[in-house]
Amino acid sequence: MSESFFVKHDFLLRRLHSLSGLVPVGAYMVVHLLANASILNGVDAFQNVVYVIHSLGNALWIVEWVFIFIPILFHAALGFVFMFQARHNTQRYPYVSNFRYRLQRITGMIAFVFILWHVLHLNGLIHAEWFRATIADGLGIAQFRPYNAASTAAEALQSPWVVGLYALGLLACVYHFANGLWTMGITWGVWITPRAQAWASRVCMGLGGLVAAIGLCALIGFWRVDIERARERELEMYRQRVADGSILENPHKLSRPVEAGEPRSH
Amino acid sequence: MITDAYGSTIQSFRVRVLRQDCPGASPYWQSFDVEYESDMNVISVLQRIAAKPRTRDGRETTPIAWDCGCLEEVCGACTMVINGRVRQSCSALVDKLLAEHPQEIVLEPMSKFPVVRDLMVDRGRVFRALQKVKAWVPVDGYFDLGPGPRQSRAQQEVAYPLSECMSCGCCLEACPQYTKVEVPRATNETDESYQQRLHGTYDQSFIGAHAISQAMLFNAHPVGRWNAGERLEALTAPGGVQVCGNAQNCVAVCPKNIPLTTSIAQAGRAVTLHKLRQLFGW
Repeated sequence: MSESFFVKHDFLLRRLHSLSGLVPVGAYMVVHLLANASILNGVDAFQNVVYVIHSLGNALWIVEWVFIFIPILFHAALGFVFMFQARHNTQRYPYVSNFRYRLQRITGMIAFVFILWHVLHLNGLIHAEWFRATIADGLGIAQFRPYNAASTAAEALQSPWVVGLYALGLLACVYHFANGLWTMGITWGVWITPRAQAWASRVCMGLGGLVAAIGLCALIGFWRVDIERARERELEMYRQRVADGSILENPHKLSRPVEAGEPRSH
Repeated sequence: MITDAYGSTIQSFRVRVLRQDCPGASPYWQSFDVEYESDMNVISVLQRIAAKPRTRDGRETTPIAWDCGCLEEVCGACTMVINGRVRQSCSALVDKLLAEHPQEIVLEPMSKFPVVRDLMVDRGRVFRALQKVKAWVPVDGYFDLGPGPRQSRAQQEVAYPLSECMSCGCCLEACPQYTKVEVPRATNETDESYQQRLHGTYDQSFIGAHAISQAMLFNAHPVGRWNAGERLEALTAPGGVQVCGNAQNCVAVCPKNIPLTTSIAQAGRAVTLHKLRQLFGW
């Protein structure tokens, strides 16, 4: 009898799926949201965080793919395979944990669509200049410029529709993470008795509430950025860093209307 | 005594049954009026219908097929879906059912097992899963092994609730991860080759909460522990404990209040350690 790959490696695949939700995907999300929340300390603070991330230089795309994109794609692909094997029955068995189980799958789908859109919208995935000039700018994707971090992020997050969809996507991601953390603890056998599971649930949901608050604050922070002033400050920081040699000149990482090395004309 | 909306004692009540003539046939609904008697259960309702198998619109029909055994909620044979919820029909009392839902009593076969006829299903997969996890203590042999080790009171109190499982299938019916597996018999197929094909299919499908819990029961037994490794291997085989999605309906519907989700989490820990031991040679 020929066994399919999924059947043969059922245990390993499901455990890797469970693990990848926490490390690296969930852990990355928390770090990402914390980094974003630095916007609440001002444009300089956020820009400095982005400089730290971009100090990885050419290794950044390896980190992006190995620790972020590929794990997310792996987690999502397996998630979709497992999800379609389920037969939901919340109508007949309307228990809290059954709704949580169902919501975990719904938020997983929302999170996947949101992350796909979010990455295209800001990051753009392909960083080649020709792609940006011919396709990305026309479609309004890949809007984020790391050396104009706050101003480009704020520009992309001005429409109330976009902010609303980001808030929805964020909440879906955070629920999926927090509830997933709780079920992961059961799956791997960390919390066992109903009492322990109830406490773990409170802690996980509390953590989720905190992470959601951090994410939403960051979203509000970007919405309130004074874009013109932010852009000037970012350019100042850029010139300083180029001058003291801590970064190399890279107009590719700046926003379009500003040419590197030239003062911006108003 | 059950009264209607106007306070007078009811004479009869309506029963709607999802029927199916044979495996593979399409199911259909039939309604019956049953004369009210005090202290009826769903089994006695089915007996009254069998005595006078006539539908509400007056057509003669066949008696409804159902399964039952002990009539005291310890054998699990009469499990069916009553008013949308899986339970034993012997302990489903008509007075209580009508108090909750006065219009009618709705009876359906369990949806996760192949229907044999009407309310009778084939729960073979439930028992195959118990075989798979070796849910027993293997002490049969040609010589006397002597008395087994004594069990402490604390051990007994953990084991006893798990030993109450009657393999009824409620936990499986309510589980969103446990899906129906029906293997139709091919023409000219021998019993042996059909059995082999059937078990091969069952063995790749989710074993379910009851089998996970029984594996934990026998792994905790002082003699059953001798085969703990084999049970953990079975729990990590395709369709093992990893398929659980933590909806936790099993523990909510279990008629014996068995702490199934505790067993599942224990199994999760046991297989985590078992696999790590294998991987790193601890």
